[in-house]
Amino acid sequence: MLACIPTASLFGVDADPVTIEVQVHAGLPCTTVVGGPDATCREAKERVRAAFASCGFEWPNKRVTINLSPAWQKKRGSAIDLAMAVGILLASDQLPVGSITGYAFLGELGLDGAVRPVVGVVPLAEAAGGDPLVVPAAQVVDARLATSRVVGVGHLGDLVRALKGEAPWPLPLSPTPPPRPPPRPDLADVRGQAVARAALEVAAAGGHHLLLTGPPGGGKTMLAERLPGLLPPLTPGEALEVTKIHSAAGVLPVGAGLLDEPPYEAPHTTASAVALIGGGSSQLRPGAISLAHRGVLFLDELGEQRPVVLECLRQPLEEGVIRIHRAIGSATLPARFLLVAAMNPCPCGEGGDHRCRCQPVERLRYARRLSAPLLDRFDLRLHVPRADPEQLLGEAGGEPTAAVAARVATARRRAAARGTSVNALVPGSRLDELAPLDRAARRLLAGLLARGGLSARGLHRVRRVALTLADLGGVDPPLTEEHVGTALGLRAELATLQAAS
Amino acid sequence: MSAVVAGRPRAAPPAEAYLAALAGLAGMGPRRLGALLEVHGDPAAAWSRVVAGAAAAEPEVAGTLGRDPAARAARWAVQARAVEPEELAARHRAAGVTLLTPWHPAWPARLLDDPEPPAMLCTRGDPAALAGPACALVGTRSCSGEGRRTAHDIGRDLADAGVAVVSGLALGIDGAAHRGALAAGSGAGGPVGVVAGGVDVTYPPSHAALFHQVAAAGALVSEAPLGTPPERWRFPARNRIIAALADVVVVVESHDRGGSMHTVDAAVERGRTVGAVPGPVRSPASAGTNALLADSALVVRDAQDVLVALGLGRAPLSGPAPRVGEPGPPLDGADAAVLDAVGFAPTTTDDVVTAAGVGLGAALTSLHRLAAAGWVDAGPGTWSRRADAPR
Repeated sequence: MLACIPTASLFGVDADPVTIEVQVHAGLPCTTVVGGPDATCREAKERVRAAFASCGFEWPNKRVTINLSPAWQKKRGSAIDLAMAVGILLASDQLPVGSITGYAFLGELGLDGAVRPVVGVVPLAEAAGGDPLVVPAAQVVDARLATSRVVGVGHLGDLVRALKGEAPWPLPLSPTPPPRPPPRPDLADVRGQAVARAALEVAAAGGHHLLLTGPPGGGKTMLAERLPGLLPPLTPGEALEVTKIHSAAGVLPVGAGLLDEPPYEAPHTTASAVALIGGGSSQLRPGAISLAHRGVLFLDELGEQRPVVLECLRQPLEEGVIRIHRAIGSATLPARFLLVAAMNPCPCGEGGDHRCRCQPVERLRYARRLSAPLLDRFDLRLHVPRADPEQLLGEAGGEPTAAVAARVATARRRAAARGTSVNALVPGSRLDELAPLDRAARRLLAGLLARGGLSARGLHRVRRVALTLADLGGVDPPLTEEHVGTALGLRAELATLQAAS
Repeated sequence: MSAVVAGRPRAAPPAEAYLAALAGLAGMGPRRLGALLEVHGDPAAAWSRVVAGAAAAEPEVAGTLGRDPAARAARWAVQARAVEPEELAARHRAAGVTLLTPWHPAWPARLLDDPEPPAMLCTRGDPAALAGPACALVGTRSCSGEGRRTAHDIGRDLADAGVAVVSGLALGIDGAAHRGALAAGSGAGGPVGVVAGGVDVTYPPSHAALFHQVAAAGALVSEAPLGTPPERWRFPARNRIIAALADVVVVVESHDRGGSMHTVDAAVERGRTVGAVPGPVRSPASAGTNALLADSALVVRDAQDVLVALGLGRAPLSGPAPRVGEPGPPLDGADAAVLDAVGFAPTTTDDVVTAAGVGLGAALTSLHRLAAAGWVDAGPGTWSRRADAPR
């Protein structure tokens, strides 16, 4: 007879509903899996067969055809194991017809019949639906984020007894909360660095990308790590979106529940393009830029990144998504992140200082590795000098994260009240309306434009930053000379930063 | 001596063809070339010896060839067999490049008694530019904005006074000095660029246009023939020619070590007057020049100081006019406080904010206004006061 069991399969950061069709019919004993399975799906029948043996179920001594419908779509992963097992049990009359009406199943099977956690349980649960949805016991918390009626099972035998009504459903595991992530580092640890602190605050308030240059040991990484703490907590909708991405990438700890803090991703310089951007040949996994969605992406040593990787960043920076095209299909993955990049001014890092061992030509060549269009996308650019020892030892810590985050939240509310999202995304065509300039500010910018010190695009970026400064100051536009002057001061000329003669 | 090429008798190539061929060999520095010419007396004979792979046969030459003279001689022989001196000389003629030798009427008199003169000077442009009064303006490649402007202005004023500005066409001070000389009016002294590789090899590549301008307005010289790559050792060797071709050597900005200090050593060896431009005591780019001044180098504040040293100008009775810019609009209180907080050596923005006692936004805005009006220079995360700021 034929059994149809709903489950789901992962694609990119989303999952597609899949129906496992099992037909047990006359013929030579043989089991075939059809319908676009990848290697893991094809192996599922071996796992299920071994689990049957462990649990004392009977493998039908007939021809078994398993179809993963819709058949044209590539399926991947082990989450279909449980649905396949239930389908075979049903088709071979080991489960009563009607016992699973409305059910959907997600879970990987161990050879002993244990139901194990799967990668991407949040998007999978959303796609599979089911009333109820059966998931691995350890992932009930995660699956409930996407759908309400969820039951968890730890073993195939328990599941079958519960479906037959022979035993009650296993009680939901008293969730062992996963270890809380260590608290975010606090801005109070940063001593001095008034300009860099101001830049962090503006970046958080307006969603402006930030480029930090300077010698090693200046605290670029330390500053970047403290930016996520300044961002407002995620809204429930955003939190689910972020949790889904992390779940699909397999980096969400089992049973972690909702991620409600802005994520922070700091891929290593040697990360491949696929690890950073997402993709892969057999599956479309989200990369670091999608994991940083609604949070902060920190790219250290920007000058050491491969140019192709950097050019891949331009689309997400512009559109907030990354479109990946591969032989197995194409996917659009969310990637709306706040980019913080750090770079040394030259290969040795000292940047023309008397300690610098680089030839001027080497410095020029290093500076040219980054394309002007990419560097132009940073609204905030500043040099972080090495802190002087007196400051490190003597000065008291600065304002704590909580105080700055409160100002950021107020500024963001002001921006939201104008009906736009963060200021960095205000379209250029609306700047005249939303960020008008007073007379002195206009004169300052006009002088700069006339001298060729600012491009048209640079002008837009300076006005957006100035608008954020006004929001932080609690002032309504028109923008003053001080707002514009500060915005210009926080966006250093590239030539100045690279300090090459 | 006559050579028979393609069945037609022809005069032997002139000596400068052999000199050019010899000077273009990899690793052929002035000491080795000097030893070869000393031993063989005649460039043609030295060349045939090199082609035969027997350059290291004479102990006087072998002594200059480093650890493995035979290997060096063998490499030279391989390289030399691919070079035809007459064809090389013809290439120079076709490119309008003069091969100056000590017996050429335009050979600079300053080189006649030089302790280590170049064997020949490959000259693009007008060899007459090498004859008049000359001042070398040299310095670091990673200079400050102040140093660049100083080199430019001294170069321009010297050229206006008819003095040839001699420099190395490198990034930083060298390039700025030449740009200044090129900015001088008509009838000015033509600049002299001394380069390490062939005069057709632009190094650094970003100075290609400057190479052409210097050759057009003055002369571009090298002791290596056309096409010679600028090997590392050629730069210090080039520096001695800069010193030799100038009457006064002025270092505009230099770190405590570096190429400019080689030029100074060469100048001292040749008895040339050495001058230095004083700089902020805490600026690393002025550490070398300030040390020279402490060693009693000539204090050079402007072109006038150089002209006095050259015997071309008179020391002004009341000291030089203060080098400050045009009177500017008066600064308002906040800008004046911020300007006060900026030192002549690079000062970080944080320090400016602390010292000025104003808010960060006000300080950044003032700094922007001050930079736009020419009071301060922006550096990476730092600001420095301009000496030629408006009053």
